[in-house]
Amino acid sequence: MITINAQYQSRFREITGVEKEFFHLEQGTVAALAAQITGKYGPLMTALLMDEDSKSLNSRGTLYLNSKGQRVYLEDDLNEGETVFFMVGIAGG
Amino acid sequence: MESRLLRVDLTTGECSVEVVPHAMFERWIGGSGINNWIMWEHFLTHDINCDPRGPDNIFVFGVGPLAGTGSGSGIKGRITFKSPCYGIFGDSAAGGKFPYMVRFAGFDYIAITGKAPRPVYLYLCDGEVEIRDAAHLWGKNTAEAHGALRQELGDYPSAAHTLTIGQAGEHQVGIAAVVSDASRIHARGGGGCVLGSKNLKAIAVQGSGGIRVDNPRGLLAWSRDFRQKIDQNEAIYGFKRRGTLGAVEMYQHIGSHFWRNNQGNMFRGEEVRSDNWVKKYHKYSEVCSADCYIACDGRYKIDGTESEKAKKYVGETFRRPEYLTTGSAAGALDLRDWAEVAHWGKVTNDYAIDNQDLSCSISFMMELEQRGLLSARDKGELFGRDQSLEWGNMEDVEALMHNIVHRENRFGDFFNDGPYWGALRYSEFKGENFMKYAIYGKGGASFTEEMRPFPTWMNNMAVASRGADHLKGIGLVEKFQRRDLSMKYFGRPEAADLTTPLLKGACTAVVENQVALLNSYGVCLFHWMLDPGGFTPEEYYGRAFAEITGIDRTPEELMRDGERICNLEKAFNSRLGLRREHDTVCERWMHEPCPEGMYPGKVASDMFETVLDEYYDWRGWDRKTGLQTASRLASLGLQDVAEVLAAEGALAPG
Repeated sequence: MITINAQYQSRFREITGVEKEFFHLEQGTVAALAAQITGKYGPLMTALLMDEDSKSLNSRGTLYLNSKGQRVYLEDDLNEGETVFFMVGIAGG
Repeated sequence: MESRLLRVDLTTGECSVEVVPHAMFERWIGGSGINNWIMWEHFLTHDINCDPRGPDNIFVFGVGPLAGTGSGSGIKGRITFKSPCYGIFGDSAAGGKFPYMVRFAGFDYIAITGKAPRPVYLYLCDGEVEIRDAAHLWGKNTAEAHGALRQELGDYPSAAHTLTIGQAGEHQVGIAAVVSDASRIHARGGGGCVLGSKNLKAIAVQGSGGIRVDNPRGLLAWSRDFRQKIDQNEAIYGFKRRGTLGAVEMYQHIGSHFWRNNQGNMFRGEEVRSDNWVKKYHKYSEVCSADCYIACDGRYKIDGTESEKAKKYVGETFRRPEYLTTGSAAGALDLRDWAEVAHWGKVTNDYAIDNQDLSCSISFMMELEQRGLLSARDKGELFGRDQSLEWGNMEDVEALMHNIVHRENRFGDFFNDGPYWGALRYSEFKGENFMKYAIYGKGGASFTEEMRPFPTWMNNMAVASRGADHLKGIGLVEKFQRRDLSMKYFGRPEAADLTTPLLKGACTAVVENQVALLNSYGVCLFHWMLDPGGFTPEEYYGRAFAEITGIDRTPEELMRDGERICNLEKAFNSRLGLRREHDTVCERWMHEPCPEGMYPGKVASDMFETVLDEYYDWRGWDRKTGLQTASRLASLGLQDVAEVLAAEGALAPG
């Protein structure tokens, strides 16, 4: 069992209603974290976080980074105490 | 598909209409591709080294084949010209209703040359053209001029849609912009200056025509699929609500803002670094174009309760600022109250001036003040007064903006072409080198984002045909670390890895080709960035292009079309004498470490030359000179272009 800190920005925060929270995972993977988050927040979060076609994290205008600033993918491992940031961002204009 | 080009010579008042041959679409796709070719041909018979503010310059407006077809994505119009501020290739896009209304008025491309003897506007309606007196519009800002034209022209056969310049264009400020329907801005490169130099205040269109497409059923099917993809994408819901402002928090997190002339890369203002204030000010969403399925636009209205500073702007309403408007105000200038950020967006639209160049020019001067490099005498020489230059002070910002818009003192004159030329002129004037405080790439102002951790973005800043630019070779693969896209494009992951120069130049070249296609279709790049079609525009949007034009190409052929369009822009600049040494960026980016954020310590020089070499290799250009080769141009069907370059010594040797 490991503990992961999930931090939400913008649309993610709007859906969760919180800026950050902790999840306890049996399996230390991003897939396990995503399953807990979508299970907790339901279809809206699932639609935002997951890409049904590719069965991966939704990559459209979204960014998921670990504390080292590296993008995480479903298959990636997570270490105890890791923070994962859930962000959206299309800039420009 | 039938398409018409209107040519207007403002010196003689002569107007003529040509049918654009189908072969033109075969070679140049449409939109920016055809605009580029019209300008290229013009400068085969006119001196390409002409004064961009002179009558020999050309101003081209064009729309892509998707515009106005109901496809749900073709919303962009494009202006193309020789840039008066940078002296190189210039173009700029904007969305809105004006582009497709030009088609409904019976035209697809407008090429304007010469100079009118007095202020005029161009009126197009259902195939008819008139050059009309604009004395009553001269001196008005874009909102006033648009309003006056709407009232004057009435609602038949449609509401009038306009392209206007403001006071900046009238004063031939190099960084002056062109604004459509008083709200959508063609900001980059100085198109407003070109129109001002021609005494052309506006183009107004009304129309009731339609657009023929090759296969309406096929286009409808594509359009339905596109709509479905948009509707299923929850991330797009967030984008509809916030527009590009949704990126503010992400940029704050990774350290990608541009703060105080890029001395930092994170916002300091408590309010502006969160997007919670979107709810506070947001009044309603709106679509910029009836032909957009996303509708990311929004509108604010200030009632004065939002903050102490907001009281100054009670009743002000305008488009919700885009990210870069916010980046320039809350970042480059360190304005910390959102009402001021919004006001900055409105007033730069009203004056019609590029707020990227403008903010980088003002923040250059504020940094000199911060460093104690401006004496009272220096300020007297520049401003004719003891000008305060305080970061985050809106009154100071507006004073300097006014100086540039009206070119009313030495500062306004020096910096009317943006920070690079401004810093150079000031350095020459003082006999002291201040260039290390100017932020630019290839002579063009930076767009207000941090570049140093991102080698593809940095390469884009150096090689973009219109000067430092984020829209020619968008570095999303790298910034979003899209390993999957790197694998899709190259079969390898390194394009998404920030720690290596590998595939960064390659990624610039590939994405530039894709973006050239999108710009030629007339597709909004936000549609593409939200990825409804798998980040392969040559496949997804290529199908819509085929249904409209009947030109059915393989994705590989379309990518070569994109490459051909990029090569023509390059050839234009090569004719003007640009070589490898011009594909460079400013000293701060090159040598000063990125100060904060998630990727501190990065400098461009770590990877710059390696990435540039790779870019030239992927382009098939000569590493040493940066010039194109005859063989690569021939492989793209551009032998005629190669001959012009060879005759002028602008082709790589051998």
